[in-house]
This record gives sequence, C-alpha cells and structure tokens, in this order.
Amino acid sequence: MFKHILVPTDGSELAKAALRKAVQFAKSIGAQLTQVIVDEPFAVIAVDDPLVYLHTQEQYQEATRKRAAEVLKFGEEYAQSEGVRINSVHVYDPVIYLGIITTAKEHRCDLIFMASHGRRGIAALVLGSTTYKVLTHTTLPVLVWRGTN
Amino acid sequence: VFHQLLIAHDGSEPSRIAAHAAIDLAAQLRAQVTLLTVSPPFHIEKAEDPVLLLDVEKDYVTARTHLAQSWLRPCEQYAQSRRVEAASLHVFDDQPWRAIVETAKRAACDLICVGSHGHSGLLTLMLGSTSYRVLVHATVPVLVHRARGE
Repeated sequence: MFKHILVPTDGSELAKAALRKAVQFAKSIGAQLTQVIVDEPFAVIAVDDPLVYLHTQEQYQEATRKRAAEVLKFGEEYAQSEGVRINSVHVYDPVIYLGIITTAKEHRCDLIFMASHGRRGIAALVLGSTTYKVLTHTTLPVLVWRGTN
Repeated sequence: VFHQLLIAHDGSEPSRIAAHAAIDLAAQLRAQVTLLTVSPPFHIEKAEDPVLLLDVEKDYVTARTHLAQSWLRPCEQYAQSRRVEAASLHVFDDQPWRAIVETAKRAACDLICVGSHGHSGLLTLMLGSTSYRVLVHATVPVLVHRARGE
C-alpha cells in the first residue's frame, strides 16, 4: 500500500518521536523512508552594502547545514538499526510547507508522516501551522502523529 | 505499530474511498478495524403534544440506522474479503468529531482514519471541518486520506 514515506523533521522532540514511530510503521509494512529538513533561505530585506552580508550568508548556510546534518543523523542511525531504508534530504525553501510537498513529489512519496507540531507549536493545544498547511495543500494522505502523553 | 483502526464513514464518496484505503492498510498491518457512522440526533424545536412525535422519532432512528447500515455493510464485506476483523458502530451525536474522538477512546483505537472531507466539503484543496476538529481533539494519530478531484 504505502511504499515510500516522507517524514519532515525539524529536530524537535515531537518530530523525533514521530520519526521513531514512522520507522516502526515503515518496518511493519515494508516501506522505505525519506526524511527531510526544510530551512528558510538566507534573506536580506535591505542592505546598504551587500558585501557586509556575504560572510553572514555563508555562515548561515554553514550553520543550517551543520544542524540539519546532526538532526538527520539521528534518523539515519535509528532507521538503520531497525533495518529500514532511509535517505535524507535538506532543502531551502522560503515556504516550509511547500518545501515539504515539493520534496514528497520529487521523491515520489505516497504518504507524509508528520508530527502535529514542530518547534513553534503550542504543545498539544492546536494543530501546528506547517502541519495544517501541508494537510490542506497536498494530494497525498497525511498521517498526523501525536505524542502519547 | 497500530493494532486497532477507527474508520469514520459518513456515506460520502471521499469517505468511502478513505475507508477502503484504511482497510487495505489494516490488512497490511494485521490490525482490526472499527467502522463508525455518526448521525445527527432527532430534534424537534417545539411540539404541542410530544406524544404525537414518538412515532416520528422512531421512524427517524430506523431510517438513519438503515442508511448507516447501507454504508457500513459494504465496508464490512470489503474488510472480510481482505481478512480484516471489522466491527461496525452507529451512534447519534450532533458533533461527529466528538463521537469519533470518544469512540476511538472507548474502543481503544490507536489510529483514526478519516477522509479529507465528507458530505459538506467544498473543495478538494481544503480540509473538512470534521476532519480538522478530529485532528485538533484526537489523542491518537490521525490518517487523513485526500480525495483526488471530484
């Protein structure tokens, strides 16, 4: 049924819990995973001297790349320990939910498995805005994971 | 991973498609399913002699039950063909989302499966109000199946 599951992550505790569950789910139905981190690209609204920001942009890329690698490593290690095939993607998109949906299309995923909130969510009260937007804009089934506490 | 799936069905086409997809998933997970239809309860604003309405209410309940059966039966049969153990429930509640969330708790379901909208959904690109409320209030994960075009 589901063969290729996309798991968006942002390194939050809930996203990690969702990833663990997604790995178990993939294992039980013989599916593979793609985990994705979407970061906003470096943006400068107005600059007097753009040269000043050259270094900053590099630093931003470096910092986000490094953090993404750390977060993705967690998923890779866990999936591998469970014998589930996983690949990792880090993309820049100014609109996070679009980055998620585009990645799902590019990798031909047939299910999006994501936590109800990410880093910016108010715990368990409402549905996170990124999750909500993914739900309203994708044509794929979405499994919204809630922490079990 | 998931052992007991709650499948909500309001008789609409998107919800029928979602129910079948959920049964396919249950077959793969070797999970059991609870099929649920929620109907609006009988309401009369004003009656001079409420006794007169007893039959009306009875007829309403019977008609609603038949309708629910006509949606749930085919799903039960489909589940049987996929060797999935299925139980059907029909409850009356003004708030379908509340009945769905409460039934999931009572039946110890660990995944709720809904369509992206049912009867009152306007656009395929939006999320139906019942599905949205289930997502907000559920204490277990929710699988939202998208309707593809009308």
